[in-house]
Amino acid sequence: MTSATSAKRIDDNKNKSNRANREGLRGWLNPIRYGWERVSYWFQRLTGIFLLVYFIGHVYETSSLVSGPDAWAAMLEMTQTIGGHIFLILVIGASTFHTINGIRLIFTHSGQGLGTPGRPDYPYDPTSVNNKQRSGLWIAFILAAVAMLYGANVLFSGGE
Amino acid sequence: MNKQMTSDNTGNNRNKNKNTTTKWFSNVTLIRESQIMKIHYITAVGALFVVAIHIMMRLIMPFNMSLEFENVILNYKNVFYALLLESILILIAIHGFNGLRVILLEIRQTQIWERGVNILVIVAMIGIIAYGTRTIIIANGFSLG
Repeated sequence: MTSATSAKRIDDNKNKSNRANREGLRGWLNPIRYGWERVSYWFQRLTGIFLLVYFIGHVYETSSLVSGPDAWAAMLEMTQTIGGHIFLILVIGASTFHTINGIRLIFTHSGQGLGTPGRPDYPYDPTSVNNKQRSGLWIAFILAAVAMLYGANVLFSGGE
Repeated sequence: MNKQMTSDNTGNNRNKNKNTTTKWFSNVTLIRESQIMKIHYITAVGALFVVAIHIMMRLIMPFNMSLEFENVILNYKNVFYALLLESILILIAIHGFNGLRVILLEIRQTQIWERGVNILVIVAMIGIIAYGTRTIIIANGFSLG
């Protein structure tokens, strides 16, 4: 057997084993297996996609302005329902979480608040997921909840 | 002999990663991924400020009143506010569609997928900016003819 054939067989076996371990989108969406960093990762992407969809919808919605007051009122009426209010409250929560967690991530990516590297000892807790990082994530969740409550108060009190 | 991971070759890997570049349409390299991420963060911080002003403008009077047609048109007629809306449009379009690009590139890493995603997000970004700019220009009172 030539060395080229042998190398090809090793590559084929590697590819097969990689495919067997591949979880695809389901693995990517699994938020529970990798701890809080994974929860943050998952929520950041989920809220990001949701906000992008809202942004496109918002640009389309406001374009009704150029068709006159009737078109604007008709478009606005869609948001004046309970479903519309709940959707806007979700937008408020998603944008608050995405913002606060995004600020945390900017600091993290620049190496701030990660702790010092050390020898991996049992129980192998990653030093990067320290109290600063965890509290940053909790602050994002708490502020998102507060913003949603404020938004709900404004929207359900008739916008007074 | 097994190749041992030394500080030298980890350094090389780091340099290799730092030089990772995005080949947008062909083999021509336009911009590094590290530079794209800087743009992503700068647009995020910029959007944070302008969106905060945009929301505050809705809250300086009762929320329902601020959304009345006459009030909204008055906002658009103000040149400074129109410029603010344009900056929101550009910053969020760049940040949002680059974020989508990053997510899509995490899912698959073939060359054709990467090029397809890059083209898709650039076209979508230009499309949404053009459409939003049209609204701002018409509502501001300038005619597109």
